Amino acid sequence: MKRLRLYVVFLASGFAALLYQVVWQRSLYAIYGINIESVTMVVTAFMLGLGLGSLAGGALSKDPKRPVLLMFAGVEAGIGLFGFFSLDVFRVVGQVTLGLSPAATGAVTFVLVLVPTLLMGGTLPLLVGYLVRESKNVGKSVATLYFVNTLGSAFASAAAVMWFLGHRGQIGTARVASLLNFTVAAIAYLQYRRSLAEPRPAAAVAGSEPAADSGPVADSEPAADAKATREVPS
Amino acid sequence: MTDARQRTQALMLFVAAASGFVALSYEILWYRVIAFASWGLPGAFGMLLAAYLFGLALGSKVSGWFCKDEARTGDPKQLRPLVGFVFFANAAAWLVAPSFAWTAKFTDWRLPLVAVGVSAALLGSILPLVAHFGIAPDDRAGQKLSYVYLANIVGSAAGSLITGFVFMDRWPIATIGLVLGASGVALTAVLAGFSASSARGRAGLALALGVATLALFATNTRAYDRIYERLLYKSKFEPDTKFAEIIETKSGVITVTQDGTVYGGGAYDGRFNTSIVYDRNGILRAYGIGAMHERPRRVLMIGLASGSWATVVSHLPGVEHLTIVEINPGYLKLIAGHDEVKGLLTDPKVEMVIDDGRRWLNRHPDQRFDVIVMNTTWHWRAHITNLLSVEFMELARARMNPGGIFFFNTTSSEDVQKTASTVFPYAMRVYNFMAVSDSVLTFDKARWRRTLTDFKIDGQPTVDTSTPEGKKLFDELYAYADTIHAEPVSHGLESRDRILARTQAARIVTDDNMVPEWREVFRFQEPP
Repeated sequence: MKRLRLYVVFLASGFAALLYQVVWQRSLYAIYGINIESVTMVVTAFMLGLGLGSLAGGALSKDPKRPVLLMFAGVEAGIGLFGFFSLDVFRVVGQVTLGLSPAATGAVTFVLVLVPTLLMGGTLPLLVGYLVRESKNVGKSVATLYFVNTLGSAFASAAAVMWFLGHRGQIGTARVASLLNFTVAAIAYLQYRRSLAEPRPAAAVAGSEPAADSGPVADSEPAADAKATREVPS
Repeated sequence: MTDARQRTQALMLFVAAASGFVALSYEILWYRVIAFASWGLPGAFGMLLAAYLFGLALGSKVSGWFCKDEARTGDPKQLRPLVGFVFFANAAAWLVAPSFAWTAKFTDWRLPLVAVGVSAALLGSILPLVAHFGIAPDDRAGQKLSYVYLANIVGSAAGSLITGFVFMDRWPIATIGLVLGASGVALTAVLAGFSASSARGRAGLALALGVATLALFATNTRAYDRIYERLLYKSKFEPDTKFAEIIETKSGVITVTQDGTVYGGGAYDGRFNTSIVYDRNGILRAYGIGAMHERPRRVLMIGLASGSWATVVSHLPGVEHLTIVEINPGYLKLIAGHDEVKGLLTDPKVEMVIDDGRRWLNRHPDQRFDVIVMNTTWHWRAHITNLLSVEFMELARARMNPGGIFFFNTTSSEDVQKTASTVFPYAMRVYNFMAVSDSVLTFDKARWRRTLTDFKIDGQPTVDTSTPEGKKLFDELYAYADTIHAEPVSHGLESRDRILARTQAARIVTDDNMVPEWREVFRFQEPP
């Protein structure tokens, strides 16, 4: 996948994630309250989900044979699917669980946001693993992916304030985010299919980086620049 | 794994966790400051988050320039730029809260967002740099990054819990600033110790950090001096401006001006006064409950604030039990120090609950009230929709006895007035409050007279009618009930039909659309 396209879809992914975060927090606060305990519970649940998702994404990323783009497409589709129905799910679960103790409420909140945040948290390590195989530079790969993803979230935060929440409300904003996820998933999937059809470049097989490129990485992009084939100091 | 590699991994995870702790702790501090400066405007929170994220993104990108392709994993030389970024990130972050305060005299809260962005940029550089230092560019890079990311998140969660719950509840903002600043210097020192390759280098760094620590302790008090006064009074801040009281808890900041005006999180929250004669807080509206309900035995009040309203409501003729649900326990500390209202804390018919009002109502489906009162804060503040939406009004309706009244402050929002008048078949505006019910609702003259006559606090009547001035005031107050028949004025009564006719262009407030909060994204309040 061309890097620029990868960056654009990851920016869109970050945009959608922040929209969800804003809307979901609002929705959960309406159910469980805006006292400091509830707010901390919700924020911590988000963080734990992202952290666990990061572990899962990292574990998946280490095998170069795994089709990263296909997994990324699946993750984005999963987030979009959950996002589409998320507010209804929160409302129903909230009605059922409102009378629970604070600890139980915390556990329910965690479970509620676990699925999407797990998926969201997995995307960065997944793509870092993918990009490092090309660039051979961890810092730059992390920096660039973190940059585009966070930039997407920054734009989303401003857009949510300036337009989305006031004009689309919570449901409309969540639907926009969901649509973005499905679009990202579709682009990633199409790219994956295209890479299956493309013959693998000889350089990737016979080049100087056997560890990174010798596996049947069906969705891996041919070396986008010289850095991908540069010798890595041990 | 070799010892050197283990040390590298451990250092990488420690730095990721510690920087996450410091960054999130600072963010909590900044939220508190911008909330106070903006009166809790939702747009301000969104813009703070946007500035923070823009900064993180740019910092991350810039840090990539320092990640050399030829760098060796675990090479201590790689820590040198990290030492600089951590130090300056911490210094910039420590200055953000004071920058909001010190610029408030000249400009609004948007300009210091630049400081937020710069600080976040420096903080955002840490993760890529530390990843480049500790992770080899092989097939396991993604997996190892996930450990770094997780450590950063664990540190952030710890910051949220420790700073948000413990520090905020025990220390004033200046002390928290000092602790965070010192934590940042300590983290820099750890990194510096690992990065220096010679004893002379270590000694030099130790000296530099020692000077930085002394400078921090020497300037912290000055930098954080009267931070809340500066944020509230803005252009009107003078060298001798000082609050009479400041109560800081994990739930927020309550300040009281020298003239007894209460501000919750920087927003006007009432004044200490229960007298209808010297009515400087619109307390007439609280007395008005007596004119609208024949016998309000059980009353629920959401929000305590100065306790003035609650004191009046608890003394209304017929009130047998008053439940007060307050989200911030700091208000209990506040009223304990004010003679006019502290009786609430020992009044046997008053029950105090610390909880979110909406959640408490949801969790107590068996409770029923004759009157539910909310002297709600401004209709545009963050999360206020939770108390002004159709959904909340339906919830309040479900908790009312037959003939019950829901009486709440709309802070003159036409959207809220229209919503209330649409949800309930009987409605009336009382000043900027709405009184709504499923039963016929009137501001009854006979009940109003009885309230004005019978109401007593500590045996003192509402109005002393033995003097000509007192008699005149009584007649004026009594005539308030007639304003329902006159052309509507802002401080008078207004019928449901007139409200609906006047608010045709307004929108119905729902949990989903959050209309009052987003109708005007940026608002800037005049300082008191």
